[in-house]
Amino acid sequence: MMKGALETDRLLNSMDMSVLERQRAYLKYHNPSFDFPLAGFFSDSPMINGFLGTPGLDIPVIYSETTVEVCDPSLSISPEDITGSGNFKKRKFDTETKDRNAKKMMMMRNKEEEEEEEEEEKSKITEQNNGSTKNIKKMKNKAKKEENNCSNDSSKVTKELEKTDYIHVRARRGQATDSHSIAERVRREKISERMKFLQNLVPGCDKITGKAGMLDEIINYVQSLQRQIEFLSMKLSVVTPRIDIDMDDIFTKEVVSTPMTLIPPSHGIVGSGYSHEMVNSGYLHFNPMQQGDTSSDPLSCFNNGQAPSMWDSDVQNLYGSLGV
Amino acid sequence: MERQIINKKKRVFSLEPNKNPSAVFTRKYTRHLVPALKKLNMNKNSSQTNQQTVKHEVDMALALSAQEFAWSRFLLQKLSSSKNPTTTTSSSSNRIRILERSGKEGGDEDGEIEKKLKELQKLLPGGEEMSVEEMLSEIGNYIKCLELQTIALKSIVQETT
Repeated sequence: MMKGALETDRLLNSMDMSVLERQRAYLKYHNPSFDFPLAGFFSDSPMINGFLGTPGLDIPVIYSETTVEVCDPSLSISPEDITGSGNFKKRKFDTETKDRNAKKMMMMRNKEEEEEEEEEEKSKITEQNNGSTKNIKKMKNKAKKEENNCSNDSSKVTKELEKTDYIHVRARRGQATDSHSIAERVRREKISERMKFLQNLVPGCDKITGKAGMLDEIINYVQSLQRQIEFLSMKLSVVTPRIDIDMDDIFTKEVVSTPMTLIPPSHGIVGSGYSHEMVNSGYLHFNPMQQGDTSSDPLSCFNNGQAPSMWDSDVQNLYGSLGV
Repeated sequence: MERQIINKKKRVFSLEPNKNPSAVFTRKYTRHLVPALKKLNMNKNSSQTNQQTVKHEVDMALALSAQEFAWSRFLLQKLSSSKNPTTTTSSSSNRIRILERSGKEGGDEDGEIEKKLKELQKLLPGGEEMSVEEMLSEIGNYIKCLELQTIALKSIVQETT
């Protein structure tokens, strides 16, 4: 979770805050323990629908959550110094989030804004921040100010969508506001969101910023994994003739249980009939007393007491890497 | 009755093994692969196991163990349609393509990214038939499954040597 906090911090300090990112940051600020619904697979939580479940439905969910947050009257937006042209980076983390998200949350009406003076805008913003949420809702919403562009005279455009089931998006300054580019922007944000998850997944990717570099890393990683698998399967083809009947027992055991204990020898387990049972039940004990297989090499180690140590290291190995 | 006793005595250590997706996948994978390899062994009866068929079995096991994901369906299709397994890597050609691209101007950044995304799509089985967003989600679990697969293969190889 620390990583997530740092990440949001970094995000907010960057120039290009996307809609999704800010909402995320906002949520995270308010609910530090908020676990994003998209991280299911990676955190090894129950894999219901696969990695991202239903891609594309995440955004409305987040939006609905955040609009609820806004209506909370206890949400205080501190009337701190809001200089439009100032250095956003100087601002504190929380005011930044609150500020931006407050502006963003206010999408109630479908209005188009004219160009306004910066002073006027500033005053209105302070008004907004000082007023109650009700006032804020009534207020006309201003465009989000990008950090160092505020001194420009270019038109600031705010576009609000009707409060329907649509995805609420605000056009940024200087960006086109037709539906195509907005949709394009949403799509791009989705993509960058997914990229962030991939960043966590691929080792060594968190130090790389920028989509292209990350994509390169990911491509290389996938290729190297595939090559590894090819190589291993080559090895396997050499080794396959030596595979024995009890191999499936071995691996199912390895995977299922971490601390292995031994069945008391009174079980008297023999033969493939039983091994089927073991396989099917899914819960396996390691049985050092397998009889009738003393001949083959892989099994001889099972028959003496050395087996547990061998298992332990293997199991630890497996679980160490599984615990990813 | 005896069977039940036996089952009880074999009580599991991890209480909910089926909830950990990594464990579930690895278990399924080994359960598919190892018997398949044994069958290969028995059927062939020769000292030579064809590397291609082993690779085929490896990929098949992967596809069967990960049926929750879209890419596994594509992989399965690919595998069942051709007995000759298609290799999932075309590493050299990909690398060349990346080098070419980096030589271009940085001006067309978006275009570059698009190309890289297409590249990634080619790596994923069925990636080209998906949209980019879908592909990115699928790549995440594909990578995870590949990792688990390598672990499983390593342990299988280790066990038999």
